[in-house]
Amino acid sequence: MNKTRGQRIALNTIGVVVAVLFAFPTYWMITSAFKPSNALLSLDYDLVPLSVTLDNFVSALEQPGFTVHLTNSLIVTLGAVACSLVAGVLAAFPLARLRFRGRKGFLLLVLIAQMAPMEALFIPMFLLMQDAGLLNQLPSLLLVYFAITLPFTVWALRGFVQGIPYELEEAAMVDGCGRFGAFRKVVLPLLGPGLVATSVFAFITAWNEFLYALVFMRDSDKQTLPVWLSTFKTVFGTDWGGIMAASVLYALPALIFFLLVQRKLVSGATAGALKG
Amino acid sequence: MTATAQIVVPAGSPPPAPPRAGRPRRAGLGERTIPYLLLAPAVVTMLVLLGWPMVQVIGISFRRLDLGELVRGEVVWIGLENYREVLADPEVWTVVARTVLFTAAVVAATVLAGLLLAVLMRHLSGGVRVALQVTLVLAWATPILATTTVFQWIFDQQYGILNKTLVKLGFDSFAGYSWFSSGTSTLTVIGMLIIWQAVPFVCFTIYAGLLGTPQELYEAASMDGASPWQAFANVSWPSIRPLVTLATFLSVIWDFKVFAQVWAIRQGGPDGGSTTLPLLLYLKGVAGRHFGVASAIAVLMILVLLVLTARYLQLLLRSREADLS
Repeated sequence: MNKTRGQRIALNTIGVVVAVLFAFPTYWMITSAFKPSNALLSLDYDLVPLSVTLDNFVSALEQPGFTVHLTNSLIVTLGAVACSLVAGVLAAFPLARLRFRGRKGFLLLVLIAQMAPMEALFIPMFLLMQDAGLLNQLPSLLLVYFAITLPFTVWALRGFVQGIPYELEEAAMVDGCGRFGAFRKVVLPLLGPGLVATSVFAFITAWNEFLYALVFMRDSDKQTLPVWLSTFKTVFGTDWGGIMAASVLYALPALIFFLLVQRKLVSGATAGALKG
Repeated sequence: MTATAQIVVPAGSPPPAPPRAGRPRRAGLGERTIPYLLLAPAVVTMLVLLGWPMVQVIGISFRRLDLGELVRGEVVWIGLENYREVLADPEVWTVVARTVLFTAAVVAATVLAGLLLAVLMRHLSGGVRVALQVTLVLAWATPILATTTVFQWIFDQQYGILNKTLVKLGFDSFAGYSWFSSGTSTLTVIGMLIIWQAVPFVCFTIYAGLLGTPQELYEAASMDGASPWQAFANVSWPSIRPLVTLATFLSVIWDFKVFAQVWAIRQGGPDGGSTTLPLLLYLKGVAGRHFGVASAIAVLMILVLLVLTARYLQLLLRSREADLS
């Protein structure tokens, strides 16, 4: 594959242009969040911010809703992630290490559950939560996010447990640990990176979720951040700086976590597409 | 579409290793129930919160369930009445046609862009490639609603940077141009937004397949005097084709169900012009309180998705077989 110098320059130029296109919305969100409002609502052409201010972040944080919605989002997301991890580890151990009847059937159930069309199930869910008296309460969302994130948590953790050599547990059992003692003392500590990666995926899924938050939460002070952000026009009016600052604050945890496990995610997504 | 974490199945899930038997002694009743006790929380959660609603939605689709029945707690079976009403409604057909067209356009653009970018990435020099990968990861990681808000700012009628840029380039008619005045134009903006979020996944998937193609094959092709196009068609394409097919199916499954972006931008407006099937479901069900009719729409949607998903799973299993042999 010998390319001439000209071809190489042309290809790299296209690459740079595409990179700029893809970076632009994120760049624009961040720079707009730092621009003073008179620069935002002007007809001047300003791709690069000339003056920087933190006013927008102050105005976003001062919105009566922001901290409430942030807390709501954190409660349902972290709660769902914690439930998923506990149920996931409990299920991953027998799936990876024990022989029992119905194992294959359960794996099939997990695979099918992973493809469940949540977008078409909100009516029965709505009625279910109403019967349970949970409508308009944070636990209803927590439960749904738990259910949405559980299948892939189980599947992923089972893979991570299988990746840990069984000989380590055997050695611990020879040394007098019970089977569960061996799991707790040998496997769980080695499972750390797998737990981190899995919980990040679960976190991002729940952090992003919009439809169920919109359907379940009728009172505005029960809404999560994404639903609140979608109504920004009634909250902020034309205060685009405040909207962008709120968006940056909302995006930050997801961006940080995502970059943390980015390598695993890319290879994981492709491995999932290939190997099931 | 939530390309972020919905599909993520981390690496390291090889076919189940043969589970090892415990020590050679008879397992007691206690020991035999342990696997089931450990699985119980996961099984119960999935059955109650995913299985039961699945059964329920089918049941409700055969009932009349409006606000009155709901309040009185009545169960009124009306057979196929809801389906008849839905299928006879011209508005439903308009929305179905719009959703299919929208999905097709978005998927085609996403897969094509992802494929082109993956091929391009192979030919970039190190620095530019890393820069492109970082920006793609950024686009992938930014939460859906944050991106949706930024797009509304970029496309803002008066102060949006897009209109300002177009005017600067000499297209004066774009001064104060409203991108959300018609359904088609609104859906175009929503489509761009979805494509921007979805391309990274498709691109990285195909790129991984390209990296897996043995370098010797390209060398052999170039020694035989193959043109770049011939090298792509005969060396790259056979090895990435299954991945492109899988990415296409996954994209169809995702984009057909998109709700958040469409709702957040204009709630299906103007005048219902950007209402897609998931929005219709929400408007009939939650906003209109016609739970029976909405459930019938949901069941029809699930049927379409079922066909697509079955084909996807079939392809998935087949590609795994090829992988193992």
